[in-house]
Amino acid sequence: MYPAPFQYHRAKTVDEAVGLLAGIGEGARVLAGGQSLLAILKLRFDEPTDLVDIGRIANLDQIDDAGEVINIGALATHNRIGASAIAEAIPIVSDCANGIADNQVRNLGTIGGSVASGDPSCDWPTLLHTLDGEILCQGPDGARTLDINGFVEDLYQTALKPAEIITGLRFKKPAAGSGGAYCTFKRCAPAYPTIAVGVQLTIRNGQVDSSRIALGSAGLTPIRASAAEAELTGGSLGADEINKAAEAAVAAADPYDDRRGSAEFKRQLIATLTKRAIAIAQRRAGGETVKNSPEYY
Amino acid sequence: MTWVGKSLQRKEDGRLIRGQGLFADDEHSDSMLHLYILRSPYAHARIASIDVSAAQALPGVACVLTGSDIKEQCVPYMQLGPAPCDKIVDLPLATDKVIFQGEPVAAVAADSAAIAMDAGLLIEVEYEMLDAVVDPEEALEDKILLHEAAATNRTYHDVFEYGEVDKAFSDAAHVVKINRLHFHRFASTPVENNACTAEWNQRGDLDFLCNNSFAGFSMQLLAPSLRLPVEKLRIRSYDIGGSFGVKIWNYVYMALAALASRKCGGRKVKWSETRTEHLQGSGHGNERTFLDTEVALDKDGVITAIKSRHIDDCGAYPRYEPLGCIIWAQVLPATYGVRNFRIDFTQTVTNKCPVVPNRGYSRMQHLWFMERIVDICAHELAIPADEMRLKNYIREFPYETPNGCIYDSGNYPAMLEKAKQMIDWDGWKQKQIEAREQGRLLGIGIGTTLDSGTNNFGQAQIMNPNLPFSGNSEVCIICLDLDGSVVVSLGTGPSGQGHETTTSQVVADELNIDPSMITVRTGFDSAWNAFSGHSGTYASQFAVSGLSAVYGACQKLKAQMRQLAGFMLKADAAELEFGVGEEGPQLSVKGTDKSINYWFMSNLVNSNNALLDDSLADVTLNVRHVYRPPFEVPDTEKKFGNLTLTYAAQLHIAVVEIDTDTCRPNILAYAAIDDCGKVINPQIVNGQVAGGTAHGIGAVLMESFDYDEVGNLLTATFSDYCPLTVMNMPDVQYGSIETPSPFSYNGAKGMGEGGGAPLHTLSAAIQDALYAEGIIVTDSHHSAPRVFERLRAPNREATVSVESRRVGAQ
Repeated sequence: MYPAPFQYHRAKTVDEAVGLLAGIGEGARVLAGGQSLLAILKLRFDEPTDLVDIGRIANLDQIDDAGEVINIGALATHNRIGASAIAEAIPIVSDCANGIADNQVRNLGTIGGSVASGDPSCDWPTLLHTLDGEILCQGPDGARTLDINGFVEDLYQTALKPAEIITGLRFKKPAAGSGGAYCTFKRCAPAYPTIAVGVQLTIRNGQVDSSRIALGSAGLTPIRASAAEAELTGGSLGADEINKAAEAAVAAADPYDDRRGSAEFKRQLIATLTKRAIAIAQRRAGGETVKNSPEYY
Repeated sequence: MTWVGKSLQRKEDGRLIRGQGLFADDEHSDSMLHLYILRSPYAHARIASIDVSAAQALPGVACVLTGSDIKEQCVPYMQLGPAPCDKIVDLPLATDKVIFQGEPVAAVAADSAAIAMDAGLLIEVEYEMLDAVVDPEEALEDKILLHEAAATNRTYHDVFEYGEVDKAFSDAAHVVKINRLHFHRFASTPVENNACTAEWNQRGDLDFLCNNSFAGFSMQLLAPSLRLPVEKLRIRSYDIGGSFGVKIWNYVYMALAALASRKCGGRKVKWSETRTEHLQGSGHGNERTFLDTEVALDKDGVITAIKSRHIDDCGAYPRYEPLGCIIWAQVLPATYGVRNFRIDFTQTVTNKCPVVPNRGYSRMQHLWFMERIVDICAHELAIPADEMRLKNYIREFPYETPNGCIYDSGNYPAMLEKAKQMIDWDGWKQKQIEAREQGRLLGIGIGTTLDSGTNNFGQAQIMNPNLPFSGNSEVCIICLDLDGSVVVSLGTGPSGQGHETTTSQVVADELNIDPSMITVRTGFDSAWNAFSGHSGTYASQFAVSGLSAVYGACQKLKAQMRQLAGFMLKADAAELEFGVGEEGPQLSVKGTDKSINYWFMSNLVNSNNALLDDSLADVTLNVRHVYRPPFEVPDTEKKFGNLTLTYAAQLHIAVVEIDTDTCRPNILAYAAIDDCGKVINPQIVNGQVAGGTAHGIGAVLMESFDYDEVGNLLTATFSDYCPLTVMNMPDVQYGSIETPSPFSYNGAKGMGEGGGAPLHTLSAAIQDALYAEGIIVTDSHHSAPRVFERLRAPNREATVSVESRRVGAQ
């Protein structure tokens, strides 16, 4: 379990990191929390020539409530986010941050790394789809902001350009009367979810004003289930609407057979978790405090 | 003060909790080399060529080993099985072909583990792919052969027949037929992987620090393979991070570290497995399929006869097998009074990881089979699960089973009653009715199981009459050291079972001193000479074999101490009493102030012996005792004889609700009752019971070694092979009863393996939840995806049939 030899560079600033990445070219990888990358290197699934460590860049781990918008630095760890005032105020963020793997991973793994991995099993991309997030990047051509929709282009492929790194994530703070839930079903703590579903509902006078439903581990990329959202928006969360939304979520997914279960099993889980997440989101939208943690086999 | 029976805090824990344990991988020196083992990515392939030149050229590489080195330097490991097993060539590296994914093909020793791995990956192996066979029934067709010289994949076949099977079936009121049951492949993964350091010096002495858990046996196989007299081999272990049987046969690869050391001029070489290596290439539990089972019952539901065909899958190399083809017979009728059996037993090799004796070894598979039978018959004949057990339990002890095993003691109905009370059986029965009205799938299941301890190695002769093994033994050396301190050495090499603690309790009681005054040496060292060919920690036996050796050694030491003290104090032995005085442990003359302390006794024997006379010539205060349980060689023709000394029992009850959405079996309540006779240390017993329960629950809900059709292991990391952690562990209520064994000096029964109780119990609970859905539980693994498949494919009609008839009309 030893990686192939590589050169190690520690960047002090984002500019320096981008410069190093651009200079080294294809053989370079970005090291932040290392919770995906190190496993990949130790299993020798990848043998990069150089690692550019951005983990010590100052002020890239800040979590900031800027009123209407929440800004989270790329280096914020899952545990730091999970223990933040943001997580306390927005329960779906807590669901996600505190449900990722185990404490060891949460202490080191970062939100930026989770998004940059392009892995459909990672939790943050799914959550950011649920919250309509945006991704702040910086590369040789300067800074830009990308929509989470379409950011993960294919399995492990993102819209990041060569030498471009994620510096932060942001999303609009859910409005009053809004509630969300992020539900996962997984085999055990260190395993990726078999299925993850994020739901965010804004309810006014018993009517769904807006809804967001996103699916993780349900295809080659995180999936926004727009048709499922449409089943709920404008309605009043009747059993029939919820069932239709669950069916639409299943239809939007493209799961495959693997060790976590058959595609058919995963479809049943998508329907189940969609309904469960809607129920929790609805209660939270009504001001209720609802505990929600990953369900294990 | 009596120490036996008390929850004395474990003596081992202080060092382990402080990080002061010494595990094989902790051994380090700057001049040490590190071994990397290159393993086959394929399950079945011929090795066309191996080019090691690039690896050898890498700076820091000391040596490279391939199959051709091994062929010259090693004798293939002895095979235990009868023909054709003798034709199987088992070496530490593959030579001509590989027969399982993860099989070692080359090894590199280098200055660091990283360089060794870099070099290993520079070795170019050209493979010619062969078709693999992973299904045992297909393997028995012999279309694809693993060991061509053996000309068959079948490593064992025999029929175990007892009583009057045909008569019992013709007299039966009901015959229940179950066409197929399957016990899945898993292993109780220890937290510490296999590891060792080996140093084979220029004088020809080979020293291992390792974590082998059955050193007495392993040395007998390892030394001849390396063409060494056993005397040249020193095997040591200190702390071992769990074994559960899996580390019994790691000597197969310890040999590689030794050969690398010799090739590198005697430098120390460390081998330390990664988790994936452990999962792919270490050892799995036996997988077993039970075909064409027929059960005869009388009109009341009492089982009178069972016939069945069992196929055991031992993976690529038999190694410890085919012993598992016999070991199950220790518990032939399980906890039931069935007298008539015909079990046709076959074992086959397949292109999968070899199996090893994994916690509950071979008995667990058979006990699961017996429990499934009892459970399925109860459902089919509409007999409540508890009544079915009560109708069939053995009640008189000692009980001789149809194959001559003697169950020492037990009280299964009392365990059932206690478990029912603990879990609130009646309350759950009521809740079950309510749940079913709501369409919920809630089931209650009972699992009764046995943990047979202190085995008779003579059973190996049933499998192969030429094997030079019988009986059992364990060794204890106890001495007063030069300063009078009490030092105990054992051959057991424990892997977390607390032997230092329980041994101290026994010695403390015998010498009437405090356990803190006794040093029990940690681990195993062949140089102590405190071992026999049976020495090790396996087969649930320490409380009997180990502590009987300790007790026997204490008696010998005490006799010498009495003789010496009597001489010095001019007193009769009968007047002397053991105890602790102002100058520490001593012997004193009752009713007087005359005493002699341990320091002076040791001083007299070791450094001051001109004070002694010839009558004390045999007093050494350093005694070695070998405990031998009273076994005979079984009748190998009839397969009859006592195979085990003690029979601990476990009775578990679980309440399970299947979540119809996620298909997860949720454990709502769980009670575990244990009977291991006289308990030496309740805390240690509780730990073992909890651990065995956790392993069983993990096996049922999470853990399974799954192979694809070409022999790729699909669960080769801990994120795919998910071992149970505390996060998945339900709350368990523990209880016990105590039926002392008449066959051990202390009334204890060996315990620790636990008989796989949760496998039987959860299978029964899930059966109870699903029976009304037309589903028969035919497998031992019930992860959510598997339950999902099962719910969609009711199998009762295709699996079970019942023939009932009026009897006695004749």
